[in-house]
Amino acid sequence: MIDTNPLERYSRQMRFPALGKAGQEKLLASRVTLCGCGALGTVLANILVRAGVGFLRVIDRDFVEPSNLQRQVLFDESDVTNNLPKAEAAAIKLRQINSTVTIEPIVADINRTNIEDFCHGADVILDGSDNFEIRYLINDVAIKHNIPWVYGGAVGSQGMTMTIIPGQTPCLRCVFEAAPAPGETGTCETAGVLAPAVQIVASYQATEAIKLLSGNAAAINRELVILDVWENTHRRVKIAPLAGRKGACPCCAQRNFEWLDGEHGTQTTALCGRNAVQVSHRVKGKLDFAYLASVLKNSGTVTYNKFLLKFHLIENGSPYEFTVFEDGRAIIKGTDEPEKARTLYAKYVGH
Amino acid sequence: MAITIQIPPPMREQTGGKAEVVVTGATVQAALEDLIRQYPGTATKLLENGKIRPYINVFVNDEDIRYLDDMDTKLTDGVVVALIPAVAGG
Repeated sequence: MIDTNPLERYSRQMRFPALGKAGQEKLLASRVTLCGCGALGTVLANILVRAGVGFLRVIDRDFVEPSNLQRQVLFDESDVTNNLPKAEAAAIKLRQINSTVTIEPIVADINRTNIEDFCHGADVILDGSDNFEIRYLINDVAIKHNIPWVYGGAVGSQGMTMTIIPGQTPCLRCVFEAAPAPGETGTCETAGVLAPAVQIVASYQATEAIKLLSGNAAAINRELVILDVWENTHRRVKIAPLAGRKGACPCCAQRNFEWLDGEHGTQTTALCGRNAVQVSHRVKGKLDFAYLASVLKNSGTVTYNKFLLKFHLIENGSPYEFTVFEDGRAIIKGTDEPEKARTLYAKYVGH
Repeated sequence: MAITIQIPPPMREQTGGKAEVVVTGATVQAALEDLIRQYPGTATKLLENGKIRPYINVFVNDEDIRYLDDMDTKLTDGVVVALIPAVAGG
């Protein structure tokens, strides 16, 4: 593209009074870390790269699969055929969309040992993930290093989003004190998801990022937005008075970064020679096998007794067998890769 | 005194598919007890050791009960109580 005026491509959004040339120049100098590049993440990356952020780091551990194409807007059939990692496939598309943005794809499993490096230097962290473990890690890093971030989640026809500015708004743990235990809430694999629900949530998140990055933090949403595209509902509930929860929030008030310190979360161990990985998830309480079985029966065959639940699944032609224990631990047969096992666990058992 | 409780999608299997349930009760505690009386299956979805599960927030007319009077928050006729769990997917 011959571009005599490099700002011409942004002319329509620069005409929006609150943004203007000054806001655009701030956007062009901004750095964003995107954690996860699935349904939320592809919409976020698409909007922000077109809007002209300076630098976008895209981190995702997965490969593009046929079941992604219904809602993950940057991917197409050739990415599935070529078995491309999502971060790399996204980077190829994003560079075609706007070659002036620096895109840094990282194919990695985000965890407590690497997330601080991934978020270092970011002006905003965006949640494109599909599980609460990553969201609480983002929350810890954001509060610890004073970086704004935007939460988004969607399942079925429903979604929610909130914006966190450390020291100004409630943090994720002020509003949702603890992560749901595995199996307690639906995931996109078990409960399904409609593309518009997740894309609307991501569009709200991207708007919040544009406000934050263009010097318009005063305009951010300070409430919890909850919408349902099937039931035609949209509500904003007040969360501002929860900020720090009167000194009791472990994260933003007491600065105990429990997820970053490894007090919660998932650990994996490859079981040598067995083509299996053990996924240990630290939870309080016990799993409800009857409920988990009722959710999983739509995706494969499930049996359970008092002690364990067995779940057989075929995904993209590969068979996997989950053995899930009451304490949230699972042995996943059919892979010896910890990342794959964590992905399967997050998809089907969930957080 | 009629109170409407809005049921989130993951809990509707326990309410026979109903998105809203009408209960009676002068406080949030009493209203939720009536919900559980009408639909006993909601108890394990909602409570953990007798307390609301930490990822479910309760709003009375869009105000979080944690900065009102928590479970003792008084309810008046026609009030809407929303149960809102964190949404995980994405």
